[in-house]
Amino acid sequence: MSGFFRRIYDWLLRMFWATEMDVTMIGLQNAGKTSLLRVLAGGEFTYDSIPTVGFNMKRVQKGHVTLKCWDLGGQPRFRSMWERYCRGVSAIVFIVDSADTSSLPIAKDELHSLLQKPMLNGIPLLVLGNKSDLPDKIGVDELIEAMDLKEITNREVSCYAISAKEETNLDAVLQWLIGRAKK
Amino acid sequence: MRYSKKDEDADQAIFKVDRSSVFQEARLFNTSPISPRRCRILLTKITYLLHTGERFPTSEATSLFFGITKLFQHRDAALRQMVYLVIKELADTAEDVIMVTSSVMKDVAGSGGRGAGEQEVYRANAIRALCRIIDGTTVQAIERLLKTAIVDKTPSVSSAALVSSYHLLPTARDVVRRWANETQEAVLSGSKSSGFSLGFGSSASSTPQGSGMTQYHAIGLLYQMRAHDRMALVKMVQQFSSGNVKNPAAVVMLVRLAAKLADEDPGLRKPMYTLLDGWLRHKAEMVNFEAAKAICELKDVTDAEVAPAIHALQLYLTSPRAVAKFTAIRILHNFASIRPAAVNVCNIDIETLISNTNRSIATFAITTLLKTGNEGSVDRLMGKTSAIMADITDEFKITIVEAIRTLCLKFPSKQAGMLSFLSGILRDEGGYEFKRAVVESMFDLIKFVPESREEALAHLCEFIEDCEFTKLAVRILHLLGTEGPKTSQPTKYIRYIYNRVVLENAVVRAAAVTALAKFGVASKDGKVDPEVKKSVVVLLTRCLDDPDDEVRDRAALNLRLIQEEEGEVAERFIKNESTFSLPIFEHQLVMYVTGDQSTFDAPFDISSIPIVTRAEADAEDRSLKLRSTTMPTLRAPTTPGVPRPSAAPSAAEAATSAAAAAQQHAQQLAAVPELKPYGPLLKSSREVELTEAETEYVVTAIKHIFKDHLVLQFNVKNTLTDTILEDVSMVATPADPEDEEQAPGLEEDFIIPVPKLATEEVGTIYVSFKRTGEESNYAITTFTNVLKFTLKEIDPSTGEPEDQGFEDEYQVEDLELTGGDYVVPSFAGSFGNIWEQVGAAGSEVTETFSLGTGVKGIQEACEALSQSLSLQPLEGSDVVVNTATHNLKLFGKTISGGRVVAQIKMAYSSKTGVALKITARAEEEGVAEMIIGSVA
Repeated sequence: MSGFFRRIYDWLLRMFWATEMDVTMIGLQNAGKTSLLRVLAGGEFTYDSIPTVGFNMKRVQKGHVTLKCWDLGGQPRFRSMWERYCRGVSAIVFIVDSADTSSLPIAKDELHSLLQKPMLNGIPLLVLGNKSDLPDKIGVDELIEAMDLKEITNREVSCYAISAKEETNLDAVLQWLIGRAKK
Repeated sequence: MRYSKKDEDADQAIFKVDRSSVFQEARLFNTSPISPRRCRILLTKITYLLHTGERFPTSEATSLFFGITKLFQHRDAALRQMVYLVIKELADTAEDVIMVTSSVMKDVAGSGGRGAGEQEVYRANAIRALCRIIDGTTVQAIERLLKTAIVDKTPSVSSAALVSSYHLLPTARDVVRRWANETQEAVLSGSKSSGFSLGFGSSASSTPQGSGMTQYHAIGLLYQMRAHDRMALVKMVQQFSSGNVKNPAAVVMLVRLAAKLADEDPGLRKPMYTLLDGWLRHKAEMVNFEAAKAICELKDVTDAEVAPAIHALQLYLTSPRAVAKFTAIRILHNFASIRPAAVNVCNIDIETLISNTNRSIATFAITTLLKTGNEGSVDRLMGKTSAIMADITDEFKITIVEAIRTLCLKFPSKQAGMLSFLSGILRDEGGYEFKRAVVESMFDLIKFVPESREEALAHLCEFIEDCEFTKLAVRILHLLGTEGPKTSQPTKYIRYIYNRVVLENAVVRAAAVTALAKFGVASKDGKVDPEVKKSVVVLLTRCLDDPDDEVRDRAALNLRLIQEEEGEVAERFIKNESTFSLPIFEHQLVMYVTGDQSTFDAPFDISSIPIVTRAEADAEDRSLKLRSTTMPTLRAPTTPGVPRPSAAPSAAEAATSAAAAAQQHAQQLAAVPELKPYGPLLKSSREVELTEAETEYVVTAIKHIFKDHLVLQFNVKNTLTDTILEDVSMVATPADPEDEEQAPGLEEDFIIPVPKLATEEVGTIYVSFKRTGEESNYAITTFTNVLKFTLKEIDPSTGEPEDQGFEDEYQVEDLELTGGDYVVPSFAGSFGNIWEQVGAAGSEVTETFSLGTGVKGIQEACEALSQSLSLQPLEGSDVVVNTATHNLKLFGKTISGGRVVAQIKMAYSSKTGVALKITARAEEEGVAEMIIGSVA
């Protein structure tokens, strides 16, 4: 019986205050997408996570907003399928390994070719330079430069430097994402 | 009334599902929030479509699939189960299905946090879906997951993991084989899990408590893993047979495995038989049946071995349950086909089943009795059979007719009773298939039991008077045309045939006209009775006014042929008894049609098809029929769990392949220019192995007989790695004659060597001999064969053969040229007649032999003898009725056409083996001795 009331209560809550939004997390392999999502969802950071085959789905609750995060595999074979999961989402999160400068050109190309897709016009983009705790990382400005983010005009673009391991700047990320929900 | 109305509406709702609308609806998957109920209904529609044969094109399937992946965000267990079902179905058509791997793995691992119980429900589904979407390269990633799932304590999960591993085995053999320990554990824990209570919602109620089905799956998987390691299989069977496997299905699997092992390795037969015997007393019925069946199917099973199995089955014959009775009688029925004597003990119980209300049981009971009964009881059984004939379906009637047909061939002396039975049921109501079976049985009687010919023809004549099946009428008319003129009173049939011309449709009329013409051309003794001819001409002339073109054409053609002054043309066209060798014809046509474009440039060459005479075709036909009816599909249909690596080809295939092989030889030899002048190939022997299969050089030989020549074909295979053989030739020397008179009469003509033979290549050497001496010189000798060649090793660094080789010789086993090589099996209706005819014209030789104890029983001796003598068994004498004594009647023709008959009296006792007395008669000088010589 109590379960029944609980469900009614949940339903009411969802009906009037709760908002759900879809967020797609993409980026090259080993950028830290799965780890970031795990930490965002309140889990422990782990060093040796296995490569994502396909995608992971996790819900992140923040206040009355539920973020449905689609964490997609970053290996080349999955990149062609990013677009399918980016259609109609509230925001695209592109994660870059800021300590691995050699992969930046590829990341840039992949990002720009994805944003060319007409279906994705106007979807806000958040670029995250992950692993900011590592010594040889590059700063936000350099990242913006390297990723050529100024070129992107037809949408809202932001860029943060974060560290999933040290949990730096994660609140800002969540705030930004929730901000995109109120539309 | 209201119900039906409602049902109609329901029909509309469920069955009016079409692909495009479902595809449109699939947008539902992308909405947010998701409604599990509506999604589930849509998924159900998709499965419905897929299961009714609808196929989504790849693009649609892919977008459906990606839509469905969105549903992973919802945790509803029932929805997730449905998602997995659809993913499994779409996995083959959609692209990039690998995309869901991570999500599925998460479900398999069961680390879902909240609601673990709920997740347990779809873990099994997830595992099954996982193995469908994974590809060979990623199997390793899921290895750990599946390993834990295999030993999971929930039976449904464990079973799912086992079955999935089974499916993964072909793609990733090495990975899956590493899971043997877990699988083994699953077998053993399967028996403990009984009574283990699952608190997990729907899965618990759908899984029978402690049924131990996991054991079945685990044993199946273990077998697949070890299929190539016989010792491991033996160990496995013995380990699991000691009572720790409880599930009956799993035990049945073990029974099949044991039977297979016993079948493959004679050394294992005894221990396996002991196991099978023990399983006869297992507490599950299905295990008993499987064990009994396995014992009955053992190769050359002895009476003592089979007795317990028969006894167990006999007990089930009186079981109150129809299913048990049916199974038992069916196994007995199959076994009765090969060993009627062993089933005899059950006859009393079987007789009571004849009147069983279940017609399937009754039919099997009767056919079993027909097989086990001796000549004396046949008539009584026929009476009983006619009694139930009226109320069984056509299908069972056909089974009975088939049984009777075999019986006719076995006991030709009983033909009168069977014929009247057949004609009786021919008058009954029945469909085409049934009538056809009866008519074909009568055809066989006419063909193989000459005494029945006139009466059977009379019955058939009566039948076509009122026959609604055009096809059958045409066949009967054709038969009347070929057989009728040979009877004592051909005019009798003319009346029946002409009746058809008056009363039937065009197809039958045309057939009747052709049949009539045959009476006009020839009657008894090849002479035409002028009276008959005159009346046939009158009748045919009337047919010239027929409204149908075909009928008129045939009548006109036949009239012209009959009125031809010399009968030669007519003989050729109307009385032509030879036919194309149909299996080869079919083979050639198939080759022609399936060949590439270029084969169609030339029209199909029908002259390449060998023409066989009626007698030869009959001989083949008959042995085929006997074999196919006495050896029914006794080999258990291969089960997915225990596939037989080399399923024995059926008798029919064997015969076709023999004919095809002959054709192939002829073609192969025709391609050798040196052999062209030898004329047509008269006879090719079977392939004889001259070496063991695993030696350095594997040599097989085929003997080809031409009119004046003998060609030995040696197929040589080089199995040595990194070597090349050059100038490979074979020195075949006939044995030195002991005295001048026995000189083999063979002169070596030439040798065609193989210039070069690389590793694993097969080359063909021809050694030709001229058969000197007179017409009927049938040289018999033994060839000693020495393979000569130059061996060159291949330099491993360059891959080129070294310049310097060394010459080498290799002696292979001797090849015998026996009398049988000159004889072709041939068929004749009556052995007695030929025996007398040949005896009057030619020579006779008698000799006695003992085959020793190496030959197990008379049946084996019969097969060996007819094969080594290359003669055709007549009058069903190749089927052994009495295991102690037997009389084998053989007939054949030499390559020059002389007839050879042999009568072999055999006696068998377990101490001395088979003793033979062979009497051979031949029209040609020396052939009888030669034939007997080839037995020794």
